[in-house]
Amino acid sequence: MGILNDLWLGLQEFGQFLPILMMFIGVIIGIVVGVLPGLSPSIGVALMLPVTFGLDPISALVLLVSVYLASNYGGSITAIAINTPGTPGAVATTFDGYELTKQGKPLYALMTSLTASTIGGLVGTIILILFSVPLATLALSFESYEYFALGVFGLTIISSLAGKSPLKGFISSGIGLLLITIGFDTQLPFSRFSMDIPDLADGITFIPALIGLFALGEIFYSIEKGDTVKVEKTAKVDLSKTLPVKKLLQLKTIMLKSSVIGTLVGCIPGAGGTIATFIAYDSAKNSSKHPEEFGKGSLEGVAAPEAANNGSVGGALVPLLTLGIPGSASTAVLIGALMIHKINPGPELFNKEPGLVYGIFVSLFFANIFMFFVGLMGNKLWIKIIAAPKSLLYPIILALSFIGSYFIQNSVFDVGICIAFGVLGWLLKRGDFPTAPVILGLILGKMIEENLRLSLIKGDWIDFFTRPGSLIIIVLAIVSFFMPYIKKKLMKKGV
Amino acid sequence: MNVKNYIAGIVLVFYFGLLGYLYLGIGQGKTYPAKPISIIVHSKPGSAIDYMARKVAEIARKYSDVAFVVENRSGTQGLVAMQHVLDMKADGYTLLGVTKSFVSTVMVNKSKVSLDDFLFIANMVSDPEALISNKERNFTSLSDIIEDASSGETTQVWIGPGTGSRDHLMAMKTWETLGINATWIDYKSGPQSILAMLRNESAVYVGNPADIKGKTDLAVISIASDKRLNALPDVPTFKEQGYDLNESMWRGFAFKKGVPEEAREYVTKVLQDVVNDEEWKNYCNETAVFSSFEKQEEFTKRIVQETVETDHYLNKAGLLVSYVNKSSIHLLIVFLIVVSVVFLLLFAFNKFSRREFNYDQVIGASILSFSLFFYFQTTLFQIPETVNITSPALIPRIWIITLVFLSVILIIQSKTKRKQPVKATPGTVLIIIALLLAYLFAMQWIGYFFTTPVFILAAMYLLKYRKAAFMTINAFGFVLFSYFVFNKLLHIDLPLGWWFI
Repeated sequence: MGILNDLWLGLQEFGQFLPILMMFIGVIIGIVVGVLPGLSPSIGVALMLPVTFGLDPISALVLLVSVYLASNYGGSITAIAINTPGTPGAVATTFDGYELTKQGKPLYALMTSLTASTIGGLVGTIILILFSVPLATLALSFESYEYFALGVFGLTIISSLAGKSPLKGFISSGIGLLLITIGFDTQLPFSRFSMDIPDLADGITFIPALIGLFALGEIFYSIEKGDTVKVEKTAKVDLSKTLPVKKLLQLKTIMLKSSVIGTLVGCIPGAGGTIATFIAYDSAKNSSKHPEEFGKGSLEGVAAPEAANNGSVGGALVPLLTLGIPGSASTAVLIGALMIHKINPGPELFNKEPGLVYGIFVSLFFANIFMFFVGLMGNKLWIKIIAAPKSLLYPIILALSFIGSYFIQNSVFDVGICIAFGVLGWLLKRGDFPTAPVILGLILGKMIEENLRLSLIKGDWIDFFTRPGSLIIIVLAIVSFFMPYIKKKLMKKGV
Repeated sequence: MNVKNYIAGIVLVFYFGLLGYLYLGIGQGKTYPAKPISIIVHSKPGSAIDYMARKVAEIARKYSDVAFVVENRSGTQGLVAMQHVLDMKADGYTLLGVTKSFVSTVMVNKSKVSLDDFLFIANMVSDPEALISNKERNFTSLSDIIEDASSGETTQVWIGPGTGSRDHLMAMKTWETLGINATWIDYKSGPQSILAMLRNESAVYVGNPADIKGKTDLAVISIASDKRLNALPDVPTFKEQGYDLNESMWRGFAFKKGVPEEAREYVTKVLQDVVNDEEWKNYCNETAVFSSFEKQEEFTKRIVQETVETDHYLNKAGLLVSYVNKSSIHLLIVFLIVVSVVFLLLFAFNKFSRREFNYDQVIGASILSFSLFFYFQTTLFQIPETVNITSPALIPRIWIITLVFLSVILIIQSKTKRKQPVKATPGTVLIIIALLLAYLFAMQWIGYFFTTPVFILAAMYLLKYRKAAFMTINAFGFVLFSYFVFNKLLHIDLPLGWWFI
């Protein structure tokens, strides 16, 4: 067996002191990066890149992929604990994760997220090892038409995020979609809507907006409600109540399915893990026996996005290693690392350097398992933080959001964006407008516009429906959009 | 005394120790260079210029008494990095990594930053532009491309990242030199362009030789340099095929103007030593670039020449217009008019249908005002006729019209709320927001380490937390924690403040 042989080579390459040490360090740094709001996986990988210059190629790459993997998990911790997605991929985790915390069951959410992340990571790695060549064909077949269709598919998820009032949900997503058009035009080097303000020429930086909308918005809202002065109602609940293993086992199908979704979407260059989390969340809701629990603390709602998010890591490595194309911001840094270590990713790499490639795969495997145990220990710490009084915790979260926004580009203006989106989030929450669709709009807006306009230059509107790929995705989009309403109708009939 | 008081005391001792450590060393030493020199890079780690800067920093250790430290400040195609260097003192401790794309960046953006503000001290490498195609096309020379361009019924398509980018201008220059007609499609990014090439979607991709590394389906047809590259000995130059075309992306270093002469001399000397180092030659071969050291005089002359040329091609492409043809003040007036009209209409609507203002209506009307204001701005977009694009107003208008429609429905549907949104005390929230803004402002001047504990203490007090020991541990402990995580673990320097550096 060729693969077994290659894996053995990989194991030998990885199984030395330095690479294993780098995996440990990488996982721990990755979790820290994920937990800190503002430091996304790509920034974490970029920060570690200079450190790897002095290492041998395998140790360098193990360090970077471990950081990449673990930061994707780490983002969910703050999403669950304090409604602050530490990374963009953890946005969907806040929907149910933070609800569970509010209900006094943070460990339920944390355990589910940790298990789902680990399973997602493992499934992603296995798919990467077994199917990277056919998946590369999928990645290659995605043209602007399919990207546009995928963007639209992503948008239809609003119908399941909108909650009580679909109208308000649509308005929220419209706000996100419009705001992301600020900045450079997707086809010309000119800035739109920047109103002659130099800092706005590049548009809205995504991560400060994300932190503002979720972390600051939530804090402002709960200060206004007077949550901080009230006696902690969670104090009566035993926060350290652990999740029964039986409940975890019930989630196995959802975790596996979401891991596969994550890996598939992750391997499409430019689509990325964040979109995968939303698609997985939506698909879990649509197939669930208890869709009404979503958004109110459903364990499935935590498991799905987390499995998808970590599954996307394996996926993102497919186009990177097989085609030499970075599919996400993090892998764009990884490709830099490969070049610096004189490794040319591409079709020849698997033949030329099987030890290195499979060494990375093997390290991903072990990194996942190590991450699980670090996560278990970490959970005890996070519980203590959650139990701290809000009046002690909120100032710290504000300060963290502050540095988090600042450090993305060393920009004071970005902190201003964070505060402005905090105010926006607060105003929306007061009026029962969901904030998640704003983020969805911000994430998908650029992808939709760029690819629609590129497609229209290359061809015509009709091409979206004559190409099988885009047609399938558009049909899926329509189904996904109407699914929640159809289900509601059917359930009413059933009653 | 209580344990928590002891801990609070220890935290304070460490905090003041940290302050001493951070601030007492500043400003010592008289002769240049007295402290590390930072190299500001306008793109993310791993990019071509970032790698070059880091390589220089690495080799320079052999020749310089102080370290060179690379700092990435990305954004607005390099303007963020340029502006940052201009904001710093011209004391010779901030070096800017510069590339040829800066020439068009400042022109297209009509930015206040000008290349004249910089002293271009050394050009380091030149990365030749290359024409790349899929092997299935069987192009082996420029004449194959010309033949294909003139034989086909459809216009030949050339692709690459960006409109008005160096690659785009290179394409225009090549068409002119070869005497062919072709169209440019902007694929936004290098990776997306390369994907399209792997699918054989277009004839030519304008990029750099390093782009095809590891991609067996792609081939470099020609490079636009004087001589062949060591890394690609089989690829002919334009000149060899009878076309006089030279186009390279250079990368070098610049200081802010007004830098002391000793600093300029010192850094130029170090860079020259770096270029002569054996390691540097290896770096150039690996990354398929030419080492092309030029000192200030030549380098500046080159930039002046290229400015003229870039201006010519940008004009030809019609890219020297701008969307922004109204000043901020002008737009503000328009915005205020829109807001007043919308809210007057809302007032009239409520009078007419006998309703009272409610929160949903206010939100709806605000969104309506913003949408209409954005719509007004889309009418100001000027589109150059010469480039092949769809209207930049298309997508924003779709979102705007949707939002207008939805917010009108929201206003009409909304009824006076059954109950007010809980017992609200927005006063505290407003004070917190003010506090955040004050923190932001103060941090730039007196730095992170002084302002952060003050902010945290104030915020805790405002939220009615009153246990002094825990407040101390929380506020000062957080600063220690963040110093450890950011400065030590992640190597990001927290700002010390403009007053002190």
